[in-house]
Amino acid sequence: MISILSSTPVSPVSPITNVLPLSMVLFVSLVKEAWEDWKRFQNDKTINNTSVDVLQDQKWETVSWKNLQVGDIVKVKQDGFFPADLLFLASTNADGVCYVETANLDGETNLKIRKALEKTWDYLTPEKAFEFKGEVQCEQPNNSLYTFTGNLIIEKQTLPLSPNQLLLRGCSLRNTEYIIGAVVFTGHETKVMMNSMNVPSKRSTLERKLDRLILTLFVVLFCMCLIGAIGSGVFLDRKYFFLGLRGPALSADMNPSNRFVVALLNMFTLITLYSPIIPISLYVSVEMIKFIQSTQYINNDLHMYHVETNTPALARTSNLNEELGQVEYIFSDKTGTLTRNLMEFFKCSIGGELYGTGVTEIEMGEAQRNGIKVDEVHKSSNTVREKGFNFDDARLMRGAWRNEPNPDMCKEFFRCLAICHTVLPEGEETPEKIRYQAASPDEAALVAAAKNFGFFFYRRTPTLIYVRESHVEKMGKVQDVPYEILNVLEFNSTRKRQSVVCRYPDGRLVLYCKGADTVIYERLAEGNNDLKKTSREHLEQYGAAGLRTLCLAYRDLCSDTYENWNEKFIQAKSSLRDREKKLDEVAELIEKDLVLIGCTAIEDKLQEGVPTCIETLARAGIKIWVLTGDKMETAINIAYACKLINNDMKQFIISSETDDIREVESRGDQVEIARYMRDAVKNQLKKCHDDAQNYLRSLSPPKLALVIDGKCLMYALDPSLRVMLLNLSLNCTSVVCCRVSPLQKAQVTSLVKKGARKITLSIGDGANDVSMIQAAHVGVGISGLEGMQAVMASDFAIAQFRFLTDLLLVHGRWSYLRICKVVTYFFYKNLTFTLTQFWYTFQTGFSGQRFYDDWFQSLYNVIFTALPVIMVGLFDKDVSASLSKKYPELYKEGIRNTFFKWRVVATLAFFALYQSLIVYNFVIASSTNSVDSSGKMFGLWDVSTMAFNCIVVTVNLRLLMMCDTITRWHHISVGGSILAWFMFILVYSGVYTPRGIYSVFYVLISTVYFYTTLLVVPIVALFGDFLFQGVQRWFFPYDYQIVQEMHRHEPDSSSAGLLEIGNQLTPDEARSFAVAQLPREKSKHTGFAFDSPGYESFFASQAGVLAPQKPWDVARRASMRSRAKTPRKN
Amino acid sequence: MSPGGAEGGSETSSAATKKHSKKPKYSRFTQQELPACKPILTPGWVITAFIFIGVIFIPIGLASLFASRNVVEIADRYDEDCVPSIYASDTLAYIRSSQTNKSCTKTLNVPKKMKNPIYVYYQLDNFYQNHRRYVKSRSDKQLRSKANEYKTKDCSPEATVLVSNKEMPIVPCGLIAWSMFNDTYGFSLNDKAIQVNKKGIAWKSDGEYKFGSDVYPKNFQSGVIGGAKLNENIPLSQQEDLIVWMRTAALPNFRKLYGKIEVDLEVNEKITVVIQNNYNTYSFGGKKTLVLSTTSWIGGKNDFLGVAYLTVGGLCLFMAISFIFLYVVRPRPLGDPSYLSWNRNPDGLFFN
Repeated sequence: MISILSSTPVSPVSPITNVLPLSMVLFVSLVKEAWEDWKRFQNDKTINNTSVDVLQDQKWETVSWKNLQVGDIVKVKQDGFFPADLLFLASTNADGVCYVETANLDGETNLKIRKALEKTWDYLTPEKAFEFKGEVQCEQPNNSLYTFTGNLIIEKQTLPLSPNQLLLRGCSLRNTEYIIGAVVFTGHETKVMMNSMNVPSKRSTLERKLDRLILTLFVVLFCMCLIGAIGSGVFLDRKYFFLGLRGPALSADMNPSNRFVVALLNMFTLITLYSPIIPISLYVSVEMIKFIQSTQYINNDLHMYHVETNTPALARTSNLNEELGQVEYIFSDKTGTLTRNLMEFFKCSIGGELYGTGVTEIEMGEAQRNGIKVDEVHKSSNTVREKGFNFDDARLMRGAWRNEPNPDMCKEFFRCLAICHTVLPEGEETPEKIRYQAASPDEAALVAAAKNFGFFFYRRTPTLIYVRESHVEKMGKVQDVPYEILNVLEFNSTRKRQSVVCRYPDGRLVLYCKGADTVIYERLAEGNNDLKKTSREHLEQYGAAGLRTLCLAYRDLCSDTYENWNEKFIQAKSSLRDREKKLDEVAELIEKDLVLIGCTAIEDKLQEGVPTCIETLARAGIKIWVLTGDKMETAINIAYACKLINNDMKQFIISSETDDIREVESRGDQVEIARYMRDAVKNQLKKCHDDAQNYLRSLSPPKLALVIDGKCLMYALDPSLRVMLLNLSLNCTSVVCCRVSPLQKAQVTSLVKKGARKITLSIGDGANDVSMIQAAHVGVGISGLEGMQAVMASDFAIAQFRFLTDLLLVHGRWSYLRICKVVTYFFYKNLTFTLTQFWYTFQTGFSGQRFYDDWFQSLYNVIFTALPVIMVGLFDKDVSASLSKKYPELYKEGIRNTFFKWRVVATLAFFALYQSLIVYNFVIASSTNSVDSSGKMFGLWDVSTMAFNCIVVTVNLRLLMMCDTITRWHHISVGGSILAWFMFILVYSGVYTPRGIYSVFYVLISTVYFYTTLLVVPIVALFGDFLFQGVQRWFFPYDYQIVQEMHRHEPDSSSAGLLEIGNQLTPDEARSFAVAQLPREKSKHTGFAFDSPGYESFFASQAGVLAPQKPWDVARRASMRSRAKTPRKN
Repeated sequence: MSPGGAEGGSETSSAATKKHSKKPKYSRFTQQELPACKPILTPGWVITAFIFIGVIFIPIGLASLFASRNVVEIADRYDEDCVPSIYASDTLAYIRSSQTNKSCTKTLNVPKKMKNPIYVYYQLDNFYQNHRRYVKSRSDKQLRSKANEYKTKDCSPEATVLVSNKEMPIVPCGLIAWSMFNDTYGFSLNDKAIQVNKKGIAWKSDGEYKFGSDVYPKNFQSGVIGGAKLNENIPLSQQEDLIVWMRTAALPNFRKLYGKIEVDLEVNEKITVVIQNNYNTYSFGGKKTLVLSTTSWIGGKNDFLGVAYLTVGGLCLFMAISFIFLYVVRPRPLGDPSYLSWNRNPDGLFFN
C-alpha cells in the first residue's frame, strides 16, 4: 500500500525506493515458497512413481501408482502397500481372506481380516482375472474409514459389498502371498486422502504477538501522521511568500484556502514518509532465520540423530521453531512414544529369593541422581538376547536352579509360567524358531521366560499342553511332558488373575494361578508369613523400579474337591444368563488357599532415556500429560515408571470402573447410563476439585496428579464441567488420561490450548495421535518406525522421546531467544530511524519534507542493518547446549515469555525514543554554525547524511551490545554493514546525480565536525542502553546471566558431548551389578502386569464404550495359525 | 527403509556406516558450535568502559570548548532597526514599495581582536528553506547544463514565463532561486571601505559540478519578484551567492555565508555597515541578522560539542564512581547459584 502511495504525487519520496525493498522482500519469500514446493513435489514424485502390478492383456504389467485408474485390476504382493482403495477380489489364502495391517490408519498393530466375496475367489491368475467383468456401484468417495456400501454386479447378479471387501490405501498386506483387487477409488478420492484434512497452518504464538506489535506500530504511525497532518494544516500560510502559494495551478495539498484537504493529503504524504516504522523486511528475515534454523540446525543435529533407526530429526515446518521454546504442556501418547511396546521378563522372586540383575531406566536415573557412577559393564550374554526376555542371573539358567535353596519352588514357578497362560505356539517346535502368539506381550514374555529357564512350551491342543522340561529329574535330562488342561479361568479386568487347572501325567491335580498381587494375596492360604512378607517387599521394590509385577501361586487339588467344583463350573459355563458373572463366582470357589510361589517382574520397556527426559522437562517447568488408549492400570504404571507420578503425590482418580457404574451399565439403558455417569463424574470432579483446593491452601502443598479415564472424560469435557476439569487439571503436576479415543486426545489438547491459553505440544507415533498432533500448538511425531501418519501430520519429527530435551531445551529455547532478539531489534531500529524523521517534521513546517535521501531510507532496512540481525538470529546463544540441558530451569524464561513482554518492548521503545532524540538533536545542534575553518555552512543533505551516519553506526553497535555470543560472523556482518554504508555513500555522493546528495559526503569528511560528532553521538546514544544493561545485569539478573557467569571460564563443552554420540550405549549395556545391589526404594504402588495394552477396537474406544472382553478363544486363534508374524510393535 | 529392517537385529553399528545413513554430517555451523567470544557485561567491564570513555571525552571536550570560546562572533539583528519608524506599523508596505529608501547604517563594535579571515553571514529565522514545497522546487538538471533548460518539471510556479505568448523556461527555475536573499552589506572602518570577498564562499563541488558554466540566467525574476536578480551575463557556476542560497538549509533558522573580510579587526574598533534592506522577511515575521565571525579548527562559535563531550565524559566518570560505590555497598558475587530464580526464596528479596 505504501508502495502505491509512494507513486502518487503526494509522496515525498520517489516510488522506486519504496517498491524496491518491498519487491526484494517478496522475491525472497517467493524463492522460499518455491523451494518448499519443489521439495514437496519431489516427495510426491517418489510416491507417485512407486510401481504396482496391473493386469493388462492377461499379463501383469508394472505401472507406477500415478497411472492407476479406476477399474484396473491390480496385484499386491505380501508386505506391499495398497496403491488405492481396492475392491478385494481374490487372495492366495484359502477362504478368500487376507490380512491387512492398518497401523498407518489407526495405529493398531493387530492384523485385520478382509474377506473377498465368494463369487470372486477364483480370479487369481492373470488369465482368469482377465475374464473378470463386473460393475461396481458404490457410494461417493467419503472420509469414513469404517464404512463402505455398494454392489458388485457380475453375471447379472447383484452382490452387496461391505467394508470387508475394501482394502484401503495406506494399509499393507500381511501373511498373504498376494491378492487381486479392483481399483475403486484413486488418488485424492481414497478414504485416507479424504481423511487427511488440510493440515491447519500453524503460526507461532510469538508471531501472533508480533502481529499485535505491528498493529501497535500502525497505530503509532497513524498518530504520528495525525500530529503531522494537523500541524501542516495549521502551518501553511500565504505569508510564507517564498513557498509561492499562489496561482491557479496550486495543488490541493498546498492550498491554504482549504486546510482540511491540506491536512488530509499531508496525512498520506506522512504515511509514506514514516512507513519505515513498519518493518516490512522483518517477516522475511524471521522466516529466513527460522528456515535456516530448522533445515540446518534441527535437521542436522547429531544429538537428535538416532543411530538404530538411522533417523535424524526433521523439522517439517519452519514456522514453529520459537514455539518450541515456550511449551508449557506436553501431551504424550504412551505406546511407542514413552514405551517401546515391548514387554520383557526382567526379574523374579521365587520363594523369597530375588533373581535378576538388570537395572531399569528408572533405577539408573535414580542412581545417577545420587551420584553413583553406573559402570558400563558389557554383558557377555548379550548375544543370546531374545525378544521378551531380558533376564540375566546365572543362578537360574541352565538348570542351576537345582542348587538354589528352593528347587521345588523354582520348579513350580517355571511350570506355572509354562502352563498357566493362553498363549499359542507357532512355527517350528524348536526353542529358536518358535513364536508365541499372545493376547498381550506380557504373556508371551512369561512363556518365553519359561522356555529360557528350560520349560519349553511347544505345543497346544484343545486339551493338552506340551512342555519340554530340562534338568527336572536330574541335570541335563530333557523330557516332553504333556499336561492335561482341565479348566481355564479367564483373565478379565475385574478378576485381575488367571488360573489353569491341569493334571500332571502322574495324575496330580494342580491349579496354577497368576495375577495382580492384591487379588492373589487375598486368596493365599494361611501361614508362611515370612515368604509373603519378603515377596511383598520384593513386589514393592519392583514397583519402585517401574516394573509390572505378577504373583504366581498354585494349589494342589484333590480329585473330589475338583470334581465337585467342576460340576458347578460346567453349569455356570453353560448357563445362558449372566454367564460371565456366574463363571467369576465359580472361579472364586476354587481360587483360594493358594500357595505363593513368587512373583515376576516384567519391564514394559520404556524408550531410552524417557524418565530422565521427563524429569528434565519437569524441571524446565513443563507439565506432561499422558493420553493413552491403554487401561488405567497400565497407564498409571507407566506414569510411575516415567516418574510422572510418585508416592508423594496426591492422586485423584476419576474412573468409570466403579461398582455402581458397572451396575447401572449392566442394566443397559443408555439414557440412564448417560445420566448416571454424568452425575457420577460431576460428583467425583467436584470432590477432587475441592480437595485440590484444600491441598493447595495447605502450608506445603503436595504435588497433585489426576488420573481420568476416557469414559469419564467424555462427560467431563461437557461444557458445564469443562471449567472444573480444566481448573483441576491445571493444578495437577501430572495428568494421565487413559482409555481415550483419538478425538478425545484432541479435545483435551484443545481444552488446555484454548481454555488455559498455554502453549501445548503433542507427541505421538501413531495414526491415533494425528488429531492430537494437529490440535496442539506444536505437533511432534515419532519417526523411524513404519507408521508415517503421525509424522506426516506433525510439525517436527524426532526418532525418540528423549530427543524432546534437545528439541525443546536447546533448539526451542535458542530459537525463542533469537527470534525475540531479532523481533525486538527490528522494532527498535525502525522506530529509532523513523523517530528522527518525525522530529525533523516539526522543523519543516510539518510539510513532510524527508530528512533522509530516498535511498538511505529504503536501503536502511535492506542493506545497512539487515545482515547483523540475521546473524543474531542464527548464531546467538546465551548459554551452550550442554548448559541448557544442565539447567533446564532456564526454559521457564520462555514459558513466561520473559523476552517478548510488552515491558521489554516498552523498554526498547523508550531507548529508541532516547536514541532518536540524541541522534537528531546532537547532529542538528552541532551543525548550526559553520563546521570548519573555511566558514562554510551545511545544507539539509549534509546534516541528514551525518544523522544517518550516526544512526547506522549506533544501531549496528547496539546490536553487538545485545549479543550473548559474538562470532566472527557478527564482526563481519556488523563491520560489513557499516562499511557497506560508507562504501555506498562514497559512491552515491561521488557520482553525479541530480540530487542534493551529490558530493555531500566528501564535504562531510573534510570537516572535523564529522569525526567529533561521529564519536560522540553513538556513544551518548548507547550510553543509556549500556547503563540499563549494566544495572539490570547487576541487580536484576536473569537466570541465564547467572549461568553464564557461573560457567564463564569454561570453554564451550558441547563438542565434548559429541564424542559420546558415536558409541551411545544402549541401556542394556549400561546395566551393572553395582546399581542392582543398591538399597532400593520401595513403592507402595506395584505395577500389575496383566492388563495388556488395550487392543480394543478403534471404534469402541472412540465411542467411549469399552468393547466387551472377549473370552479367550483358543480354538479360534488356533485356526489362525497361518499368521506368520507376531504383531509388530508400533 | 524396508519395514523389516528395524528389527533385523544384526544391524547396530553397521547401519550407521551404511551408504544410506542419514546421519547428519558434522560441521561447526550445523551443530551451532562456531567459535565465539561470550562477552559478559560484568561490573568490572561497566566501570572500565565508563572510565575509558570519561578519560577520552573530557580532553576532547575541553579542547573543543576552548576552540569554540576563542572564536569571536558579532551578531546583529537588523530587520527591525532598519525599518524607518514611520513604517513601523506597516513593515510590509515599506518592504514592498520600490520607492522607499532601503539603506540602513549600523555600527558594530569589535569585542575582541578578530583575525582574518572574518566571515560575514546573514542569518534568517523562521524561513522554511526546508519546506517540502520549497526544497523540491528546483531543477538540478537545468542548473547543470544548458541542454536541460526545459527541464522545469518541479519548478512550479516559477517554471516558465510567457514571453511574447511563448512558454519560456526560467533559468534558474523554481522557488529557491526565485526567493534568493538580496540584502547587501557594505563595510567600512573609520570611513575606509572594507572589501568583502565574495569568492570561495560556496563548497567547491557545488560550483564545479552542480552549476554549469554554460548556463546563464534567463527570464529570471520577470514575473512577480521574489528576491535577488541575477546578472544574465555571468554563468551560474560563478554566481556564488546563488550557489550558497541553493544549498538549502536543514532548519528554519539558518546562516549563510555572505562573504569574507580579509583584514584583521582590532578590539573596540567600530565597523560601519551599510545594509540594503531589500529582503522581505516581514510578511512572515522572520528575523534577519548580520553575523561576523572568525573560525577555529572546529568551525564557528558553537559550544555544543564541547559541552556535550564534557558532560558525557563527566557523567561517565560519575557513573564509574557510583558503580564502584554500589559494588562496595551491595556486591553480587559473580555466578552465585543462589541468585538463580529457582534457588531463590520464592518471596525472598533480590539482594541478600
